[in-house]
Amino acid sequence: MTSLSGSNGDRPLDPAESLRLIAAQQEKVKDVEPDGRVLYGVWGLAWLLGYTTLYVSSLRSGAPPATATLEIGASDVVGQPEPWAFLAFTFLVVGAVAITIVHIMTRVSGVRGASARSGALYGWAWFISFAAMSMVLGGLARAGANPEVMSLASNSLSCLVVGIMYLAGGAMWQETRLYVLGVWILLVAGAATIVGLPDLYLVMAVAGGGGFLLMAFVEQVLRVRTRRRLAGGARA
Amino acid sequence: MPDVELDPVIHAQARLRVVATLSALGAGDQIAFPRLQKLLEMTAGNLSTHLRKLEDAEYVTVTKTHEGRTPATYISLTPRGRRAFEVYTESLSMLLRGAGS
Repeated sequence: MTSLSGSNGDRPLDPAESLRLIAAQQEKVKDVEPDGRVLYGVWGLAWLLGYTTLYVSSLRSGAPPATATLEIGASDVVGQPEPWAFLAFTFLVVGAVAITIVHIMTRVSGVRGASARSGALYGWAWFISFAAMSMVLGGLARAGANPEVMSLASNSLSCLVVGIMYLAGGAMWQETRLYVLGVWILLVAGAATIVGLPDLYLVMAVAGGGGFLLMAFVEQVLRVRTRRRLAGGARA
Repeated sequence: MPDVELDPVIHAQARLRVVATLSALGAGDQIAFPRLQKLLEMTAGNLSTHLRKLEDAEYVTVTKTHEGRTPATYISLTPRGRRAFEVYTESLSMLLRGAGS
């Protein structure tokens, strides 16, 4: 090294070092984007625990038909989760929503302009979609939909919103993994609704929650790989 | 060795890192000074100095504004700065290819 005046950043660079600096800095800029590991991890846990709770609870309340003797009328005792299970599920989902919002707002703070505007519009799209969904569910209940139909409708409509929003986000930001997750959630929601109660909750917990957690793991692997590549370049 | 000139405004560690950071944001995005400072792990004074040089070259725009009562400074890469960075990275690749052959 010719001089230590490099501390003011004006030290000449060789091309390889320049390229490495650029790559390292571009990796660092990921700090202003939401971290997929956090978001997928949080939602994976919320779904896994929440839906498992609903499943276990609905098995308990729907226990009679499981006692082999299928009497007349027994078949319409479809296991419905108990109120405490719904409360636990709601708590987990609200917690996940709160963590998501805080995480994203912290990450993108201090950045404004075109992408901030896209992000805000995208965020509002979630609220608007879920508000509209609540109105649809209210309408279905008023029209006399029974608890089983309401359970199927509320779960499938929520998942439709989530899945389609992921597709939109994946398309907008060219985030292939987000898009793939959206496709997966839509398929899982469709399959779970066909399966019906109470196994719907098991499908949602394992395939839905599992899907999120798998994607969180993929994000982590890719992150480590990038970091290792950058570190490797620094040694060369 | 191919005859490639590297833009001296960008070809210095600190300014290269500033420009690389700004170019990684979306076109038309601005970033608050403290946030940029954190991403670069530079002192405020040092960052200001380099931003001034980049501003003189019309590679970045520094916008001073108010958020409520607090003054805030936002920095963005100009189209000219973005082009200069693209040309710079292309030149680097050419140099590296030239060095390899």
